Amino acid sequence: MSYKKKSTRTIKHGRKREKWTDILPRYLTFITHMRPILRETRRIIINLDPDLLLDTEILDKIRQEEEKRNIRKVRALSEFSAMYRSNIYEIIKDFIIKYRDEIPIIDIKDYIIDFLHESVDALNVLRHITNPDELNLENTYLYQLVKFIEERIMSRGSNLKIIYEKLLENSPNLYECQRHILQSHTYYREKLESPDNFEIPVISPKVYQIINNITSLYNLDPNFGEFPEKENYEIPMILKNDVFLPYIDSIANAEEEAIEKMAERIGLRLIDGIFLAPQEDFVEILLDNNYLRENKQTDGTIRLLPQFSNETLITYYLAFASQRRGFLSKELVNWISMNFAFLIYMGILKWKLSDENIFYAIFKDLQTNEKILPYLMKLICFPNYLGVDKMKIRDSIQYRKEIFNFIGSQIDNLKEFINEIAVFCKKFESRKKK
Amino acid sequence: MAEVQDTTWKMLLNDFENGLEKAIEELQKRDVENIPGAKEALIQRLNNMKLHFPKNNGDIFIKSINEKIQNAFFPNTTSFSEAFEKILKSRTHEQDFIINELLNGFVTSKAKAIALGTQGPIIDRMVEAFSKRNDFHIVDHQFFAMFGDPNKPRHYVKKQLEELVNMFGLVSKELLIEKDIRRSEEKVYTFYTFPSDIIKILEEKYLIIDADLGYAYVSEDFDRNVFICMFLANLAIHRDDIDKIGGSFTINGVSAIFALILLLSFMPKLSVDETNPILNDPTFKADNMSVIPKSWMIRQVLEPLFEPLIKIVAYRVGGGLWFSKIVDSEINKKIHNQIKFLLKDVNKWILGNLCRVEIPIFVEISNIFTEILVGYDEE
Repeated sequence: MSYKKKSTRTIKHGRKREKWTDILPRYLTFITHMRPILRETRRIIINLDPDLLLDTEILDKIRQEEEKRNIRKVRALSEFSAMYRSNIYEIIKDFIIKYRDEIPIIDIKDYIIDFLHESVDALNVLRHITNPDELNLENTYLYQLVKFIEERIMSRGSNLKIIYEKLLENSPNLYECQRHILQSHTYYREKLESPDNFEIPVISPKVYQIINNITSLYNLDPNFGEFPEKENYEIPMILKNDVFLPYIDSIANAEEEAIEKMAERIGLRLIDGIFLAPQEDFVEILLDNNYLRENKQTDGTIRLLPQFSNETLITYYLAFASQRRGFLSKELVNWISMNFAFLIYMGILKWKLSDENIFYAIFKDLQTNEKILPYLMKLICFPNYLGVDKMKIRDSIQYRKEIFNFIGSQIDNLKEFINEIAVFCKKFESRKKK
Repeated sequence: MAEVQDTTWKMLLNDFENGLEKAIEELQKRDVENIPGAKEALIQRLNNMKLHFPKNNGDIFIKSINEKIQNAFFPNTTSFSEAFEKILKSRTHEQDFIINELLNGFVTSKAKAIALGTQGPIIDRMVEAFSKRNDFHIVDHQFFAMFGDPNKPRHYVKKQLEELVNMFGLVSKELLIEKDIRRSEEKVYTFYTFPSDIIKILEEKYLIIDADLGYAYVSEDFDRNVFICMFLANLAIHRDDIDKIGGSFTINGVSAIFALILLLSFMPKLSVDETNPILNDPTFKADNMSVIPKSWMIRQVLEPLFEPLIKIVAYRVGGGLWFSKIVDSEINKKIHNQIKFLLKDVNKWILGNLCRVEIPIFVEISNIFTEILVGYDEE
């Protein structure tokens, strides 16, 4: 019989709000196990006579010996360490087998040592990406990198106009990245209208298409109506029905019903229940950026003629999401923070590892990614950094599998951005040293 | 039989001519252009088309559709590997957008799409599963472990894998293990890979075979579009089996996208005044973009051009069988109507001007037309 007193109340436990000091150690856990393995391996290779490297069985034996020394008690960690070590040794073996007939073995040894050195360096940066008490915040890689990326694809500003301008400034080079962070592949989990009216969902392929339709209709054949807030002015309007006319089998019903909410996210409003027209604030932004042109009519009224670009409305969506980042949907929070984490991680790797580094594959492996990126995602969400709701980050392994699969399908523009981030890391390091 | 075909073809060319006339009429009535001379350039181009397109039994269409569009996106062959190789070769950053749009075939009906929305993300899983191993195979158990949800019955993933294997025409091999290490029971593993002639094609760019180590792993270029190319190749070689390729919706969708490519290629380039703000817009790249008249996109102009053009494409691509599926139903009209909103990453709006990105397929087709125009002038 148990003497433990049973609780008479059934309390539904909510999720515990994790603190910075809870998450940082978890982020560091695997990194601190990866680095010594690489360092040990480097020491072993340095001390090994190059000729012995030719016999790959020797490497196998060394690995077995090293594994015996494993005294870690936590199963997940010892399994990970064994997997990590065996990957490293396999890669080294393959490299030797492949090049032993072409390159002198002494050079092969040097290459391996260099590659290991680079990898340890990369892990070193990842390990010191920030500090437990966030001391001297501005001088940490995490802060600087989040701000560097944020400025370009999810800018901050005191009002929507400022954010819009900043995003537009970066869109010639990074428009595809800006659009990418709004288009999570897990759109099918979202609802267009949630009970929480403020929530901003991801842009699904259908919504993206509808936004394209709206852009085309504005440019081609707009109607004009009185500008409600400004006398003597006419603003362009399009018929809501025209937007949904091409859709059959009622497949855009959900979007049609949620049009008011959708319109708000792209700077539009519904007038008289049938017309879509730009909101007052958006008109000002559009005029400033040449997306609306003033044209004086014979009766003295000024008509605002639309001349939209592909990015006109999408950038507004992004600016809107950026300004109301506290209200992003779960999918959007996970997607955006994953992309930020991925960009930071890959940027550091790009900076530290040479393109031919044989260990790149281990770093890019999903098994490694899923040990580091989820915690990095949470760190990025804190108020000093991206400032989104980290409680919305899902901890389910299944979900991580689902979203991390899309890391593989990265777009070219992301690769270009990663190169830019690598260059920035280098600059920041030299600034730091000074 | 040949005579019957000729009559149909002649009728189609005739319909297109009538469509051009109607479009010109509509254009005279309206003006949505903001670039001086744009409307006139378009009218002149449509008049030229009216004059030259019916010549030599519609030679321009035959060359553009049979030689260019089909070769690039829908090869007319019964060999799967040949079709796949041709589509794969047409890949460029922008042409990938076209290939992606063709995956959906059309986008307004979910009920009969060739690849359902949920299959899109699964293609990414296939890429991931192949990238994981160094023998260019996927194993059923690995696939279940990677993508299965412990909270859902396995048959979901099993079914998904089966569907994908059929869709891409993967080949399978079974491996019988007499005693499984865990349960000491007999266990069958199924390995899937690409057919050998496809592997040969992939070797050039997408697959790295390391003879020294006996590895075969995918390069960084191996992505979802490799699968989409396979998918299109599969459609192309089975074009006569309507049920297999998704029925009349696919036919209407594919024909409409090809018709849009044709129309875009035939549109005249406009010269823009040097003070025009578009030239200063950072997204406008003068070296690979050209401003084209936007008025062809208004419904009144596009409709009379598009309908006969879709039929022409269907007839050339799938003969009488495809042609018979392009009926003037309300639904088809809607499908056709929304096609103009497609390919928005290839023909962009920049400050209210429609800009065409000069991708190979547009350049090749417009060259056919230019050659004929020049030849005509010389005569």
